[in-house]
Amino acid sequence: MDIIEILNGIFRQVFDDDTLVVSRATTANDIEEWDSLTHINLAVAVEMKFKIKFALGELQTLKNVGDMVDLINNKIARQ
Amino acid sequence: MLFNSYEFIFFFLPLSLAVYYLLNRKRLTVAANAWLLFVSLFFYSWWNVKYLPLILGSILFNYTIGGLLADSDSLKKKAVSNKAILVFGLTANILFLGYFKYMDFFIGNVNSLFATNLPLLQIILPLGISFFTITQIAYLVDAYEGLVKEKNLLSYALFVTFFPHLLAGPILHHKEMMPQFDALRSKVLNYKNLSLGLFLFFIGLFKKVVIADALSSIVKAGFDKSLSLNFVEAWVTSLSYTCQLYFDFSGYSDMAVGVGLMFNIILPINFNSPYKAVNVIDFWKRWHISLSNFITTYLYTPILRSCSRITFTHSMIAIFVAMFISGFWHGAGWTFIIWGALHGAALVVNHNWKKRKIKMPKFLAWFITFNFVNLSFVFFRAKGWDEAIKVFKGMFGLNGFIPVEVYENFSLLNIFRSKFGKTMLAGIDGRNSTFWMMLLALLFALLLKNSNELTKEFKPSWRTFAFVIIISFYTLLNMGKVSEFLYFQF
Repeated sequence: MDIIEILNGIFRQVFDDDTLVVSRATTANDIEEWDSLTHINLAVAVEMKFKIKFALGELQTLKNVGDMVDLINNKIARQ
Repeated sequence: MLFNSYEFIFFFLPLSLAVYYLLNRKRLTVAANAWLLFVSLFFYSWWNVKYLPLILGSILFNYTIGGLLADSDSLKKKAVSNKAILVFGLTANILFLGYFKYMDFFIGNVNSLFATNLPLLQIILPLGISFFTITQIAYLVDAYEGLVKEKNLLSYALFVTFFPHLLAGPILHHKEMMPQFDALRSKVLNYKNLSLGLFLFFIGLFKKVVIADALSSIVKAGFDKSLSLNFVEAWVTSLSYTCQLYFDFSGYSDMAVGVGLMFNIILPINFNSPYKAVNVIDFWKRWHISLSNFITTYLYTPILRSCSRITFTHSMIAIFVAMFISGFWHGAGWTFIIWGALHGAALVVNHNWKKRKIKMPKFLAWFITFNFVNLSFVFFRAKGWDEAIKVFKGMFGLNGFIPVEVYENFSLLNIFRSKFGKTMLAGIDGRNSTFWMMLLALLFALLLKNSNELTKEFKPSWRTFAFVIIISFYTLLNMGKVSEFLYFQF
């Protein structure tokens, strides 16, 4: 499965909304519930799913779903 | 040295800029950075040279620890694990800050708890210590996690001491700053950045000198001098402080960002009209933004990650603990702890409402938020519990609403007489102008565009030029008495 599809599942779970569809361009402004705290919850859920670990300092730099996909790819490639 | 002093504006800043760009033009980029480091240390020492070794020691220590952490090649050869080095580094920083900032508070509490009589050490808080310590804590964590590598002591020292942010932030990240110091295009004088920087600098200076400082005497009279306050006096005192704090700190931040821009360095913005916030979550996205980011990244997240499972309850506990710590970071006193805990609790309530999708009319939401923030700042300003209670008593009407003299000779006409303000605000040495100063400041904060919005719209035109000339002249002429920034005490 594509990373973005898996992410979509995680987003639906974290934001408790089964109609949510995310694309690379989706940002926190597009999802009302996406604040700095759900951001962290999201990151932790992503970490568990992909069995990767984000550095603390990386979390603030993830401004949209595309950034997230790239960073996940990066981390998987390095493993 | 203070941004709001003649020696800074007419001597220090122009000279720093001129020599910096001159050295760069001669392709002496290392010398230019060394110059910037030198002026930054000079800027720091102007206040008290005694503390220069302290900041230098802290820099050397953290540079060494950071180097050890980033040096993953020799990882295998190391006798101690990276984690142990990180823990050592963090502990040393916390102890360092703890000694200078919290020792007397600790001794005082021990004394009152065990009825002992240990003498206080009377330690004077070195300027900027809270800020340069947490900046470096973030650096160590980033180095541990492999995000940064710094092999150059000069660059590192410049990152920590760069004078626009040294004393009170914005709190910076190494990986955001270093590429900027190294980029070649930062080294050429850029007139657009220079004019934008001056524009921001004078807006900030205006906020500090004309607005914040004008409110300070009322705040002092209300909080420090008066013995009891009536309803009107207490609200004027508290609202004046809320305005003073915002214009002081956001003014400082504007000046910092402005000076950074003159050196082609983009510093993060710290404020975005916080008093327009419609809930407490929103407030923390707008108030001291670089600190909120630091708290979320380096306090909240590790606390949450240390939980076995990520649940709503765990994340609420993590928020509360993080805000509690942040309150204590602001100052060694129970009032700061209460302030932090209040905001932690408010965030928890806010997240609960959000989860239950509770909506309220926007005005009501704003009203509740603003009043909560305003009340919480009473703890932030008060020197102790008794002082806070004194102000609260007044605000909740326990000491009467207005002085007896006012309704004894009340007539509508009196309101327009200069005596009115004097009788009404006798307890805080107020005048008629006290009311409108506070009101005007409040309206500025609530209705006008903030400096970020003004920067985005900035166009070099005659109108902008006239605007800057008018506010800068007015401010410079009013800069008679130099006053420190409120956030320097943290």
